[in-house]
Formats: sequence, C-alpha cells, structure tokens
Amino acid sequence: MNKINKEKFTALSFFLSPMLLMVVLFYLIPLIMTVYISFTQMRNWNVERYLKDFVGLYNYERLFYMFQHDPTFKAVLLTTIVFVGITLIINVFGGLALALATFFISEKPASSFRLLWLLPRMSPIAVYSLVWYYFFHGSEIGTLNSILMKLGVISQPIPWGQTVPWGAWSIIIFVNGLVGVSFGMIVFTSALNQIPRELVIAARVDGASAWEISRKILIPLTKWHFLYVLTWQFLSLLTTYPHIFLLVQWDLVNRDYGTTLALYVFNTAFGRGEQDQGLAAAAAVILSIIGVIGGFVTLKVLQFEKMMKRPRGDF
Amino acid sequence: MVKITLENITKKFGDFTALDNINLKIDDREFMALLGPSGSGKSTLLYTIAGIYKPTSGRIYFDDRDVTEIPPKDRNVGLVFQNWALYPHMKVFDNIAFPLELRKAPKQEIEKKVIEVAKMLHIENLLDRYPWQLSGGQQQRVAIARALVKEPDVLLLDEPLSNLDALLRIEVRAELKRLQKELGITAVYVTHDQAEALAMADRIAVIREGKILQVGTPDEVYYKPKYKFVGGFLGNPPMNFVEAEVENGYLRIYESRIPVPAQYRGLIEKLGIKEVLLGFRPHDAEVVKGISEGLVGEVYSFEPLGREQIVTVSVDKAFVKVFAPEGEHFTFGEKVTVKIREDRIVLFDKKTEKALEFLV
Repeated sequence: MNKINKEKFTALSFFLSPMLLMVVLFYLIPLIMTVYISFTQMRNWNVERYLKDFVGLYNYERLFYMFQHDPTFKAVLLTTIVFVGITLIINVFGGLALALATFFISEKPASSFRLLWLLPRMSPIAVYSLVWYYFFHGSEIGTLNSILMKLGVISQPIPWGQTVPWGAWSIIIFVNGLVGVSFGMIVFTSALNQIPRELVIAARVDGASAWEISRKILIPLTKWHFLYVLTWQFLSLLTTYPHIFLLVQWDLVNRDYGTTLALYVFNTAFGRGEQDQGLAAAAAVILSIIGVIGGFVTLKVLQFEKMMKRPRGDF
Repeated sequence: MVKITLENITKKFGDFTALDNINLKIDDREFMALLGPSGSGKSTLLYTIAGIYKPTSGRIYFDDRDVTEIPPKDRNVGLVFQNWALYPHMKVFDNIAFPLELRKAPKQEIEKKVIEVAKMLHIENLLDRYPWQLSGGQQQRVAIARALVKEPDVLLLDEPLSNLDALLRIEVRAELKRLQKELGITAVYVTHDQAEALAMADRIAVIREGKILQVGTPDEVYYKPKYKFVGGFLGNPPMNFVEAEVENGYLRIYESRIPVPAQYRGLIEKLGIKEVLLGFRPHDAEVVKGISEGLVGEVYSFEPLGREQIVTVSVDKAFVKVFAPEGEHFTFGEKVTVKIREDRIVLFDKKTEKALEFLV
C-alpha cells in the first residue's frame, strides 16, 4: 500500500468505524445469532442446556409441517398477507392522497391538517391503542357499538374484533394504517415541495386541473419517493407488532386472525407459557427472507436502477 | 392578439403591498417590457395578467373583456419562465404538446401543430430528447414553443433570458424580438436587465416598489427619465448625478459652474427651485484636458473598452463617468474638465427626485 492509499484508508476507517460498529453490533451479530439459534432446540432461554443442542433443519421442518397442518399457523400466515397487503396500500396511497390534497390548499390549514394526521404517530403506542380498544370494544361500552345502538342501527353490541376473519383484520389494518399514512404523507409532501413551483403554474396556465397536474406532473416526478415509501412501509409492516400485540393481549381481536408472523415470532420467543426460541428464530429467518425478496422485487418492478443516474462528474 | 388594460391594480400579500395602484395600457401587438430591480413587483404584475394572482383590487381587461375573475386557463396566455419550467419526465415533443393535450385536441392536430412550432423555433430535430439532454438555449426555445403552440393572445415572458450566458442572450434577444413581430402577438416581458428592455421593447414600464414610475418608448425613458431612479437604472454605465445650486442663471457644482440649460431656464424661474440634481449620460459629455468651462475635476480612473473608454472623474466629492474616444491617454490625478451637452442635461428636484419638467 502506498502512502496516499494508506492515508485514504486511515480517513475512511475513521469516518466509517462508528457506523460499521453499529451495524456489526446491532445487526450482524443478532442476525448470526438468530440463524444459529434456528438450528438449535433452544427453549425457555435455557442457554446452558440448549446452546450446543444442534438439531439441523428440525425447526424449519416443524414450521413446514405447521404450514401444512396447523390451522392456527395458517391463520397467522393468511393474516400476515392480508394485513401487510392492505395496510401497505392504505399507507402509501393514503399518504400520497393526503400530500396531494394539502399541496393544493394554502399553507396554514395544510400544516394543521398534516399535524392532525401525525397524532397517531406522536401518541404513545399504549395510549393510542387504548383509544381504539375502547372504540372497537365488543360490549356496549365500545364507542362504535354505543353509537350504532343509539342510532338504532343495531340492537345488540357486535364483538368486532372476534368476528373472524374480517372483523379482526379490519381493526388491525385500521389501527396500523392510521399510524402509517403520516410517514408517506411527510415524504410525499417534502417531495412535492421540491418540485419547482413554475411547473405547476405552467400547467395551470395551460389549463390543467388539480387532478391532471397530480397525475401528469406531480406523481411522475415523485416516483422515486413512491418507491422509497413503498419499500420502507412494506418492510416495517412485515416486522411491526407493538400495536397488534396490545390489541391481541387485551383480547380485543381474535388471537389467530389478529396475529401476524412478526407477532407470532415475538410470542413464540417471549410470550406466555412455554417459549420456543428455536422455532421462533426459524420463523424470524423466514420472515427476513420474505422481507429481502419482497424488497428486492419492489425495487426491480419499479425499475430502481433506471432512476440511478450516472454521476456527471461536475460538482 | 389583444389589447391589455390594467386599471388601478393593487395586490397585497398580507401587509405587504406588492402592486400599488397600477394603471397600464398595452396595445395590440405591442412588445411591453416591465423593467425593475428584483422585488419591485414586476413578476407579480405579470402573474396577475396571467391570472395566477388575483388582484386585491382593480380590473384587468383583454380588449373589452373583463378577465379579472377569469382563471388562467381561460385567458389564453402563453407563459415562459426564467427557469423554463420544462417537465423533466417528458420528452420535448410531449412538453410542447402538453397544452394541446389538456385541450383534448385530436392527435393528428397536436402532431401537426407541434412540428409546425418546432420548425419555427428550429428545434424539430430535438423532439425526441429529454430536457436534461438539451443546452440552455435549446431548453429556452422549447419553453417558448410550448407557450406558442396553443396560439395564445398574449405571450408573457418572465426573465426568459437570464439563465443564458451573456453571448447567447444577445443572440436570442434579437431573435425573440423578430419572432414577436412576425407572429404579431402582444407580448409582456419582465426583466431586470435594462439592456434587454431597451433592445427589445416597443415600450418600457419602469417599476419600483410596486409602482410604475414611467412608461415610454426606450428613447423616452432613456433620454427623458421622469425620476432619478429611472435615469440611474437604465444605461451602462447609468446616468451621472451631481448636486447643483441655482445661482443667477448658473448651476454651481462645487467649485465649477455651468449655465442653466436653455430648456430649463423658464422652468427654474417659475418653480423658484434653488437646489437641483443634475443628470447626464456618460456619452453626452466629453473630457477635455486642463481647466476650462465645465465641470472641473481630476481623473480618478479609466477603463478601456476597445472602441472607447470610460473615464471616471472626481468632481470634488462626486464621481462622474464619461465616455472618451480610444487612443486618448489619461493619467491618474490629471486635471480635466467635463463638458456636458447642454440639450441632454436633465434636472431633477432634489427632494422628490422627479425631473423638473414633470413637476409642473
């Protein structure tokens, strides 16, 4: 290594080492540990006894067997697909719709309107979940039930969350969807604000309606942000569980049709009763693989590489 | 092809008055320049004509039609922006076709018109490219093509040349002027560049702080500025100003004195003004070596410009710039006399900074 390279290396390692340390400590090591544990019989965190109890693909075989025969696990998988799919659509398109809507109104009402949509994300998870717990509660104390009963639409309270599958699904989708739209909204709003104002003015002078401006100019110019929000939300929905955990824990929603794979992993590893970390780790590995494949597919389908422009060398 | 009439246009943004009671008539087929420094309200006025801003009060007429309440799309105006505002995700063809597509014109007609206007602006071979593949000058043509393709009644241009480099700017401005005359379209052109306004416009409206100071042909605003500001804003270098006191038919400027110009003699007597600002253009005077009749001073600096040179003369505390022919040699500190062409002198009231002939 000559001198310049050495200097470069020193500088690089100085600037990169904090980040590398973080990645290794909080990402790489847990990943390796998870993969390793998925090949052991680890249960109840009995590390001394099970750490070296190597069982090969046994946990994966169990998962596959459950996938074929266990109705509870099947329900979990189906719930995951429905939950991620629909919430993703709500998050991305809801965020886009909100950003576009606030783009066309004046700044003051727009920002207070946006702030309103940020409330779900700002409020503590437990508080926020509790609000919806009371709202959707299956007895007459539930806000929704009492409203409908007062209006005379129903005579008996409906146990919304225990109505499977769509009752339970609707609640977890609704609660998480409301949290997620604000993310898309913020990203899209900042993306829209970066579009030169003149483009919009020019289109308006040429006779474009708000809808035409959105469809022909604003949305095509925020494609990159769209892709980003889509991928980001997909991955976070795949792995999120705090809200769902509480809703299931409080028995608001059905246990089987209210549990996603991420929550299943959490419950299996840390939940009540016997904990089976080996199985949970295997499920977590599967979940990660789905995430990687899913993320890759979205990037591919939306032609991520086309959006990467070669640097032109002038800066 | 319309005549534009602006009647008492005032535009406020909150407490800020961007346009203050503007009255302006722009004739059919006229090329009107709105000239002013940045923040003067000239772009606001343009956008008000376009309909993007609604005036707080006042009315706008296109011919006899009151368009004050009419949205931009129904005013049939073409707008060209400083940064050209081309849609980056559309090819040149689609950029130009966009206004026609919004009108739901048939495909064949769109194609015919786009090619027609592209030929007129010599960009027919660029239709298949994206804006980022074009040079600044080409992008500018595309922007003009997009504004013209819908055959607007009025062409509104918001500093369309200021993103071009200096040489290209001079080339394009000649072309733009010719295009406007060929099409016979009413054009309103916003610029802060006085040379552009003088070179292109039929008439210039000089704007400052939301008010129109003067409207006139380039000659009028150049030689007969109504305000000191107008004289100081137009011309490169701009008009010279020195303070002068009126003394029995003479103007005293520090130690020098010159006779009151013939055209002002009666006026000064009538107004009884004692203190004035004397204005003259750098090419309306000559520098003579030695001390004689005129403004006596010292050579402060000189800048050869090829065909001529600018000599800066310090007259006591004031500085004046005068063009001198090439080849004449000056030295720093040399005693000289500035002889001003009497008939080109403009006198301003010191307090209001308004030319004396407009005071009456």
